[in-house]
Amino acid sequence: MFRNFTNKLSGWLKTAASPRNLALLAPMALALLLSACGGDGHPRDTLNPAGDGAEVSAWFYWLYLILDSVIFAIVVSALVVAIVKFSKKDGDDTLPPQSHGNMKLEVIWTVIPTIIVVILGVITIGGVFKLSEKPAEEQKVIEIDVTGKQWWWEFDYRNEKISTANEMHVEEGTQVALHLTSADVIHAFWVPRISGKRDATPGRSYPLYFKATQAGEFIGQCAELCGASHARMGIKMMVHPVKGPDSYDNWVKSQKTVAAAPQTALQKAGKKVFETKGCASCHTIRGVKELTQRSRTTGPDLTHVGSRTTIAALALTNNVENLAKWVKNPQAVKEAALMTNLNLSDADSKAVAEYLFSLK
Amino acid sequence: MSAKLHDIEVLQAPEPHMHFERPGKTGLVDWLTTVDHKKIGVLYWLAGTFFLLCGGLEALLFRIQLAVPDNDFMGGETFNGMVTMHATTMVFLAIMPMTAGFANFLVPLVIGARDVAFPRLNAWSYWTFLAGALVINASFVFGGAPAAGWTGYAPLTGAQYGGSGIDFWWAGLALLSASSMAASVNFIVTILNMRAPGMTLLRVPVIGWMMLVIQFLLALSFPPVTVGLILLGFDRMFGSNFYNVSMGGDPHLWQHLFWLFGHPEVYVLILPAMGIVSEILPVFSRRPLFGQTAVIFSGIFIGFVGFGVWAHHMFTTGMGPVADAAFAATTAIIAIPTGVKIFNWLGTLWGGKLTFPTPMLFAVAFIPIFTMGGLSGLMHAAAPLDLQQHDSYFVVAHFHYVLVGGALMGLFAGSYFYFPKVTGRMMNDTLGKLHFWLFVAGMNITFFPQHILGNQGMPRRIYTYPADAQWDFYNMLGTVGVVVMTIATLIYVYNVIVSYKKGEIAGRDPWDAATLEWLTDSPPKMQNFDFTPIVLSERPVWDHKYTEGMEIIAPEKAEAFHMPSYSWKPMISSCFVTLLVVGLLLNTFNPGNWLWAISAVAAVGVVGSVYAWVSEPV
Repeated sequence: MFRNFTNKLSGWLKTAASPRNLALLAPMALALLLSACGGDGHPRDTLNPAGDGAEVSAWFYWLYLILDSVIFAIVVSALVVAIVKFSKKDGDDTLPPQSHGNMKLEVIWTVIPTIIVVILGVITIGGVFKLSEKPAEEQKVIEIDVTGKQWWWEFDYRNEKISTANEMHVEEGTQVALHLTSADVIHAFWVPRISGKRDATPGRSYPLYFKATQAGEFIGQCAELCGASHARMGIKMMVHPVKGPDSYDNWVKSQKTVAAAPQTALQKAGKKVFETKGCASCHTIRGVKELTQRSRTTGPDLTHVGSRTTIAALALTNNVENLAKWVKNPQAVKEAALMTNLNLSDADSKAVAEYLFSLK
Repeated sequence: MSAKLHDIEVLQAPEPHMHFERPGKTGLVDWLTTVDHKKIGVLYWLAGTFFLLCGGLEALLFRIQLAVPDNDFMGGETFNGMVTMHATTMVFLAIMPMTAGFANFLVPLVIGARDVAFPRLNAWSYWTFLAGALVINASFVFGGAPAAGWTGYAPLTGAQYGGSGIDFWWAGLALLSASSMAASVNFIVTILNMRAPGMTLLRVPVIGWMMLVIQFLLALSFPPVTVGLILLGFDRMFGSNFYNVSMGGDPHLWQHLFWLFGHPEVYVLILPAMGIVSEILPVFSRRPLFGQTAVIFSGIFIGFVGFGVWAHHMFTTGMGPVADAAFAATTAIIAIPTGVKIFNWLGTLWGGKLTFPTPMLFAVAFIPIFTMGGLSGLMHAAAPLDLQQHDSYFVVAHFHYVLVGGALMGLFAGSYFYFPKVTGRMMNDTLGKLHFWLFVAGMNITFFPQHILGNQGMPRRIYTYPADAQWDFYNMLGTVGVVVMTIATLIYVYNVIVSYKKGEIAGRDPWDAATLEWLTDSPPKMQNFDFTPIVLSERPVWDHKYTEGMEIIAPEKAEAFHMPSYSWKPMISSCFVTLLVVGLLLNTFNPGNWLWAISAVAAVGVVGSVYAWVSEPV
């Protein structure tokens, strides 16, 4: 039975799956390779740039993809032709010529790649310096101190003096300078459609410069393994248009105000929970309670938390139910989350969620 | 030009030689006390294959987690442990030991020697490697696997963030590093000093050369990472602050020490596979390796330049444009010698008379698949592009093309090719071909789409992803591919077992090959060769068979040589070294108590066993 099977298999492998036949499949694989590389409106497509940093990277991608495809095509064609042409024929027992090499060919396939590498090197170095250019002094620059924390992002706007979490707001066409650091382990800031990534390293501050070229929302996340919930450390970048009700300036104006006062009884109860049950020892709400010192475990500024579209670094959509779920048991939403589980009652969770969501 | 002048079988010593048999043991004790490079090679290879299955199982588990979005098959910490152990296992416990298996078994044979220069040190390397492997895997039982990635970036590995798994990880790696450094010295001495008469350096087969190059890489690259690991151990055990930022430490110190090792390490993984492919292609093309000297020198060149490229792993850290530009340039240079190798392999096939038994299939498929990995690597050299691809699935695709399609497939090719020499029996070719086609299909199904996932912005090492990221299809495909690779690998293991028991008898030279290892019996006798062959060309066995006036000659007078005896000392010494490390680990978990005594006793044991070793008559 088994022998029968192996015999059949052996026959099939000899004919259908012979290297000669399958070698002919290689060009098809190459075509597939090329066709698979185009973007198709994917939310985080690095090849559909919406920022100047991503544009430079994408330009290099296409340059290298074309070059790589040509080289790959040459290697595969040579291999296919060699397999088809030089497979041993049945009954041919003569030896092929026993040549040991060819100096001319060696020189050719050393020198030509060297020339290509030198050209590529010059272009690449140009790109490196272009990406690290400091923004000119006279233009408007949005400067943001970015602090990676397990497992969320803190964004402090240097000039505007506002602090937000996980959702970064910038202006279309305006130069942005991020100054990245970390409060604990190494993280990496990555919004693929806007720019390449940059590490957020504890004890150091490294810049990342970019301009967003399109208004809209762009998703990204931490790209350096940073512990249990590394996968749940999202970033949303909101690029505002320069003019109109949704402009960046309007957003800044709304964020600069102190927190709204609670209106309903439930919201008032929620404020009380915030003040008395321990939330305020890690969170700032401007106008209610402000922390004077920050540490690794300091949580996000909640002054305008209700205006955010997501909470817990994009782990949940922002609404009252999700806020209640999160404050009730953070670790159930996000593994090993550093936010303390205060053992709030259902009523307290609901109240504080109502209050927080009202902080538009 | 076609008829054979001689058969390998007729070659005999002119008169009976004298050698002093090793007073051997039998059974298990024989394996524990052996100093025979061939047996140690087999041990390495078996351990490597075992850990290959372990690493594969780990991959299978986390691929199940990633198959669908928002999956809860395993949590983040478990997942991080799985990817960390998968990579650590595959790099240090599967590919490196399988390579060491080939190095041990083949190097003395291809250079016409009777054993390595320091046979007992060789045994010590093996037992210390095995101890390191066990220590790392013991983390699963004692408090969970290390979960900081195989790159172990500080400060995630620090006492504040990393669990007890990190202790097993650094201690185990330190043992592996000691093992590799001892082995590298051993093989450098062997290859440089113990070649058969007439075997000039450029007559050493490519596999011998690549093994020599990687021994230099090991000897020079393991010290930096060992320093890094010891600093990490100090931070964790004694509260030092080498990587602790709040006390003035520097996490980038680790990255530099690690990659100063880590990049040469990738050449340690790939160069032996290139050596194996360079042996196999000529045999089944029935002609010499095209441009053998060019292939050898490009390997040496890769080894040198490999030490000057490490910071291309750190483009996103913000080193500044000057460093980025310098490392981008050096990295791109590696493409040149790599290209030279690829073109010479093509040149070998071109004009040959090709046949395609399983080893040749793997060796031929190695060329385009490795080329693919090399070309995506060229992309990473472009720093502005690497800012997108770094730590994304594009990089995952890249290094799996190089390490699975390259290193591992090269080792598979070598396993099929040298199995008859090691065991005296052929591997089943039908099962081999089934293994080949399934494996190649599985690896491309898994890893090709990962290029696209990377372009679509999927970071590596995330344990889950939301459905609206639209990464689900290629991830499901990746999981299917891993299942296919798993089936292929199990077929391979089955083939090894069945062929070992019932395979066709191979004879000395089943492939009509060219180099010295095929001159001797399969499996080779203890002393490898009945007489010391005198080498007249770079293809001594081929020229002996096919070329008038190039017969391998035996010395006129019978030789007397001495083979070293079995010894318990290497293994005992390894055990004490391991105990020393285990004592440190135990103390980390229960600081300040009598557990220090274990390490103290072990330290005395290390000195004692080495003393006994040195004074042992050989």
